[in-house]
Amino acid sequence: MSSIFPAEDYSPIALILLLPLLGAFVNGIWGHRLGKPAVKLMALAAVGGSFLVCVATVVQLAFTGGEHEHHRLAWTAWEWMHTTGGLQRSSVPIDMRFSVDTLSGTMMLIVTGVGFLIHVYSTAYMAHDKSFARFFCYLNLFIFAMLVLILGDNLPVLFVGWEGVGLCSYLLIGFWYEHLPNAAAGKKAFIANRIGDFGLIVAMFLLVHYTGALDWVGMQSGAHSLMDTPADAFQIHIWPPGGGTYPDIAGLPLHVLNPAKPFTITAATAVGLMLLLGCTGKSAQIPLYVWLPDAMAGPTPVSALIHAATMVTAGVYLVCRMSFVFALSPFVMACIAVIGALTALLAASIALVQNDIKKILAYSTVSQLGFMFIGVGVGAFTAGFFHVITHAFFKACLFLCAGSVIHAMHARIHDGDAAQDIRNMGGLGKYMRITRWTFLVSTLAIIGCPGLSGFFSKDEILFRAYVNHPVNPFAQRLAAFHQDVWVWPTWLGPAIYFAGLIAAAMTAFYMVRCYILTFEGEFRGWTIGRPSMFKSNPDIDPHDPDAHHEDLKEPGRPPHESPHAMTYPLIILATFAAFAGLLNPAPLTKHLPIEHWLEPVFESTKDSIITRPDADHLTWSLALGGIAAFAIGTWLAYWMYMQSQGEPARRLAASQPALHRLLLDKWRVDELYDWAVISLVDALADTFAWFDEWVVDGLLAKVTSVVVAALGNILRVFQTGVVHGYAALMVVGMACLGWFFVAPHPATSMTESNGDYTLTAGPGIGYQYRWDADGNGTFDSDKFGDQTSVKLHLDAGASKTVQLEVKNAFGLTRSTKIVVKRPEPSASAQLVEVGQN
Amino acid sequence: MATQTSQSIEQSQRPPWVAPLAVLIVAGAVLVGLLFAFHQVDAAVGLVQSLVIAIGEASPIIVPAAVAWAVPKHHGVRVRAVLAIFAGLAMLFLTQTLPGTIGADGQTHESGHLLSWLLGLPLAGAIGVLFLPRQAPRTVQLFTMLVMFASLGVALPLLGVHMGATYHFNQDVLWMPRFGIHYHVAIDGISLWLVMLTVFIVPIAAYVSFGSIKTRMKDWCFALLLLEGAMIGAFVALDLFVFYIFWELMLVPMYVMIGVWGGTDRIRSAIKFFLYTMTGSMLMLGAILYLAYTYAKASGGQLSFDYFDLQRLVLPQHVQTWLFAAFALSFLIKVPMWPLHTWLPDAHTEAPTGGSIILAAVMLKLGTYGYLRFCLGLFPEASAWAAAMLAGVAVLGGIIYGALCAWKQDDVKRLIAYSSVAHLGYVMLGIFACTQGSIEGAVLQMVNHGISTGALFLLFGVIYDRRHTRQQEEFGGLAKVMPVYAALFVIVTLASVGLPTTNGFIGEFMIITSTFASTKIGKFNGIDATGAAIGVILGAVYMLGVVQAMFFGPIKKKENEKLEDINSRELIAVAPLVIMIFVIGLFPNVFLTQIKDAAQRIDDDMTSHLEAHHAPDYYEGAIKLAPRSSLAPRALPSAPPPADARL
Repeated sequence: MSSIFPAEDYSPIALILLLPLLGAFVNGIWGHRLGKPAVKLMALAAVGGSFLVCVATVVQLAFTGGEHEHHRLAWTAWEWMHTTGGLQRSSVPIDMRFSVDTLSGTMMLIVTGVGFLIHVYSTAYMAHDKSFARFFCYLNLFIFAMLVLILGDNLPVLFVGWEGVGLCSYLLIGFWYEHLPNAAAGKKAFIANRIGDFGLIVAMFLLVHYTGALDWVGMQSGAHSLMDTPADAFQIHIWPPGGGTYPDIAGLPLHVLNPAKPFTITAATAVGLMLLLGCTGKSAQIPLYVWLPDAMAGPTPVSALIHAATMVTAGVYLVCRMSFVFALSPFVMACIAVIGALTALLAASIALVQNDIKKILAYSTVSQLGFMFIGVGVGAFTAGFFHVITHAFFKACLFLCAGSVIHAMHARIHDGDAAQDIRNMGGLGKYMRITRWTFLVSTLAIIGCPGLSGFFSKDEILFRAYVNHPVNPFAQRLAAFHQDVWVWPTWLGPAIYFAGLIAAAMTAFYMVRCYILTFEGEFRGWTIGRPSMFKSNPDIDPHDPDAHHEDLKEPGRPPHESPHAMTYPLIILATFAAFAGLLNPAPLTKHLPIEHWLEPVFESTKDSIITRPDADHLTWSLALGGIAAFAIGTWLAYWMYMQSQGEPARRLAASQPALHRLLLDKWRVDELYDWAVISLVDALADTFAWFDEWVVDGLLAKVTSVVVAALGNILRVFQTGVVHGYAALMVVGMACLGWFFVAPHPATSMTESNGDYTLTAGPGIGYQYRWDADGNGTFDSDKFGDQTSVKLHLDAGASKTVQLEVKNAFGLTRSTKIVVKRPEPSASAQLVEVGQN
Repeated sequence: MATQTSQSIEQSQRPPWVAPLAVLIVAGAVLVGLLFAFHQVDAAVGLVQSLVIAIGEASPIIVPAAVAWAVPKHHGVRVRAVLAIFAGLAMLFLTQTLPGTIGADGQTHESGHLLSWLLGLPLAGAIGVLFLPRQAPRTVQLFTMLVMFASLGVALPLLGVHMGATYHFNQDVLWMPRFGIHYHVAIDGISLWLVMLTVFIVPIAAYVSFGSIKTRMKDWCFALLLLEGAMIGAFVALDLFVFYIFWELMLVPMYVMIGVWGGTDRIRSAIKFFLYTMTGSMLMLGAILYLAYTYAKASGGQLSFDYFDLQRLVLPQHVQTWLFAAFALSFLIKVPMWPLHTWLPDAHTEAPTGGSIILAAVMLKLGTYGYLRFCLGLFPEASAWAAAMLAGVAVLGGIIYGALCAWKQDDVKRLIAYSSVAHLGYVMLGIFACTQGSIEGAVLQMVNHGISTGALFLLFGVIYDRRHTRQQEEFGGLAKVMPVYAALFVIVTLASVGLPTTNGFIGEFMIITSTFASTKIGKFNGIDATGAAIGVILGAVYMLGVVQAMFFGPIKKKENEKLEDINSRELIAVAPLVIMIFVIGLFPNVFLTQIKDAAQRIDDDMTSHLEAHHAPDYYEGAIKLAPRSSLAPRALPSAPPPADARL
């Protein structure tokens, strides 16, 4: 195999990428003409084929290279572009190049594998949609973009995928675009992601400048320049901007802005923070998480695929991928971990009270992504990434179950929001057995029931948070520049651990609450009757959203289980959700396949992550904390909603109405952003638009035209049209002209050559001249003659005063004095000719 | 509703296996090509390499076939054939110009008359139009299109030459010996793509305008051809007198186009456009005359307007600053840069679609090109002195201010005009930063802006022809009635927003990254680059806003319910632009290889000047002459100064 497909020219990658693209292309262009079966065939074949090639690639990857060696299978499609970079400001080539290592190999297996299952599910879920082909076109395009993101061998190619998935997300959230809030939610997602992309672009120009490359290998080998350059170029001046000091300008005392000590950060920290901004956008973390709950406006399979299993984990993937940069800055690592912990807490607290089943799962996703951030933030990259894997299984399964439930509810409840409200469900477990059991398994997995996948991945993260901390590998270098070296505080790890425990307990509570309210108890959606009581109306398509609203009091069919195309993916995903933990059963054994598999990727970060010496003794005591969180949360939800039928919850909400309201309103963060950020930009834009119309245009165009018009008006006064007025003016003019001719004008012109000056008098009617050429103050002759010019010679620096008197035909005379001065020879008088060819 | 459903059922009668089968057939064709390729290539080339070669060789046939098939089904053979030809040409262009395929021997014969043909054809065509009957508009249109295609054909040999750092297709004829005026035209890596852009865009604008312009067709065609000739002339002229003539000449037809075929407030906009541009031009004319006069004094009596002669002048600071200011003002008005930009929204809103396309796509580029060629070339020290400040203006006044203003416009054409201000802010930032990468990015971004903004104006013209309104709130929900149109509009929007794999991304990315590497804009490189990156966010805000307002949501207005989707003429016109959006986005190296060395030359010129004379007080002393640039074309043997030329 390796002879046909060498590691440096591994062309099957092309196949992995092109199959989904082909699917998107065919379905997008010919979808309408093909009909649904062909569209289905095309879409499934594309993703399935891609998945098979992925499997083959990973198998090959496992058998190439030596042990503990970070090797890749790479394929260069073509030379893309280049830019200026490196500390020497040379040209840096950027190629369309893709590569697979163990990290991207694992990720692409998940994307194509889970993606394929969700494609299968969607064929049934979307079966009655008018835009079936368009849906699968977008879905295949998403898989393609996600694969580009994962397989890209340099940051710009990753960015292609990064923006590509953002675009697909935009298109799919706004899939039912006739409903304006859907389109608005899509726009919100796109713009929030764009704010993150801004961070990524800034990180890219910093990276290409300091490391001189944008591909993984080149950046990794040049990464030390972010902390260690010959001069202090690795320091980025934040304040004053760009370094230097403020001088006073025009009396403005700008020097007060000069700080006592310039505020600088290292390039590594700057790159890390900017990458982090990008990751918070894509992975829905504070402060940019607000788009994800709104993104639930898209079809449910989309929520499962894009907004739970794959795209939103791209931020975690990027942190893992760029771990060699993040490891240089413990401060950024701490930011990641703290952001993760805060997001986990915040989102979990919102999820406690939500009633929309998709919203609960959406906030749960945000919260779980927070856990992943904690993992990668404390330097446990493997643990963080392992949670990506397990989360992909159980969250995809949960969303698809929710889709299955909504599908059933849509049989009679046509309002989208009401069909997703868990207060209208209940007791569905009786009617939808497969959905119920798969949902239960996934719920147990996500809340960390011992033995299931979530237990292993989440507890590993919390354990690592307690025992790990990053240190700065370049601390000495920084000290040489009198830079404060940021040190990871000892309390931070335990604080994050306990925050994680609280979030885990909340997770257990809201997930069990969601399960109980949906599947246990009595059905609250509509009255279920015997078949003889049904009013059959075969003309109405049960899944047509435009159909009329039914009276839900009338007896109807019980909710139905979904077709096989929807339930089989659920079963497969639930199986993986249950057993995927065995890939990395951290507290049980030292033999950890995933850890071993990913080890080479994170090799370079090893030195900067310190583990407590007593870590091994803490393993089980820390794990007990996780188990306790699971037990408390579960028991509380079971007691409140199963045993007491929700009564304690209602009482609690009634006793704390303000808090309950605040949680229901998602802490009013959206309103805060509206008030603080959006209205600010809006006001700025309004000001600019006003300024442009009235000040810029007003000054340049309107004021100028007013001035010109005023001048015209003044001059117009003289154009009276009264003929004798003109005649009088003409007479005055003629008189002036006449006087000019009667008066003599002694004018001279002068030419010079090497100190020989020639003065020539101007001609006139009947002019006669007399000169004082020697400058003694008296005229050379008393009589006027015809001599029109005189010659004289001057030495350098000398001067002479020449006099000329003119008599004209009327006998009037007038004289003038001309001072002739020869300048000192200087450089400016000489015209220098340099090598004219 | 019912009939629609039944139709869609009828249409899906085709067996489901047809499409996969067709895909298989195409794949089979590729495999056959692969087999052939195996016989041709030697063993040293690997399997994948031969596959790539096979795909490359087959692509000019496969891609057009796919395109012809992909056309929405209500279009006939005519549209399919034309679009297939476009796609085929684009693929040929790609396969023939991909780096490595340009002849390495480099000894191509360059005709010294090619550029004269190129700019002479449209000018002669304009005169030719005058002799055609006014009563036969179809004949006039046909003639115009023929002349434009002929220019396009004449321009093609330009692509066959590797430009490198020097000038090509040089033609230098002594025109007015007494004043030292030459007819001097030549092309380098920078003007090459702008000339190509002109000959590419103008036929498109003409073709689409034939659908919407109903009156005075002969005058319209005359104006179009005159404009095309003048713009090409301004791009290739290297004698400042000739440049000035073309610079002014293109003003006239555009003035007429806005004034005669424009909207309701056309006269005011036309006058505003004319006065703004003219103010700058007058200052530039004064500066040109001063330069020529100074050259004569420095060189011993011979006037010259030649770019390379005037480049030799070493000017002291106070002289250079004023001359630079005169030139720069003229160019910055044309770009337009804040605060001189307010003529642009007015001109764009009132101009007819064809005029808007040409104005946005090509004429604004004269400003950026002029700055790059003449300000950086003639006054390097003064340009470097002003660069930091102007870069700040480009970022704040262009990229950010322009974008925020665009966001607040209700009038879609005004919005696109303000987005031009923002996009050209990127171009100017790249020029001010003046590193090799940023200049390359700037030149590419000029072409990009021409294509994507041209396409935006074209597409907006489509809906304007149907609704005769420019207000956003008049639309809404159009995606339902005009799906193909909506898809195209979204694609072009994304190109304008700068999504990767479209052209906008490449230009912005190169400019932003290389600006950070710049040493010529003081210590503000980081702030400028970051500010430019913020523009990426704002671009999405205003462009997606307009897309949402126009295409999504329910249909609010009754007039919008029965709108006809994009017709064949409009589809044919916009197709080449959409193709180029992806060609540039995916294969920018095709373009960059030609620009690279010229950009390096400009960077080196600037750097060497700045090393010799440090800004800000770089040089105070007499005006003197430096040697002629070694990369300049060989000068004509200079005629002796005529006996009666006295200074």
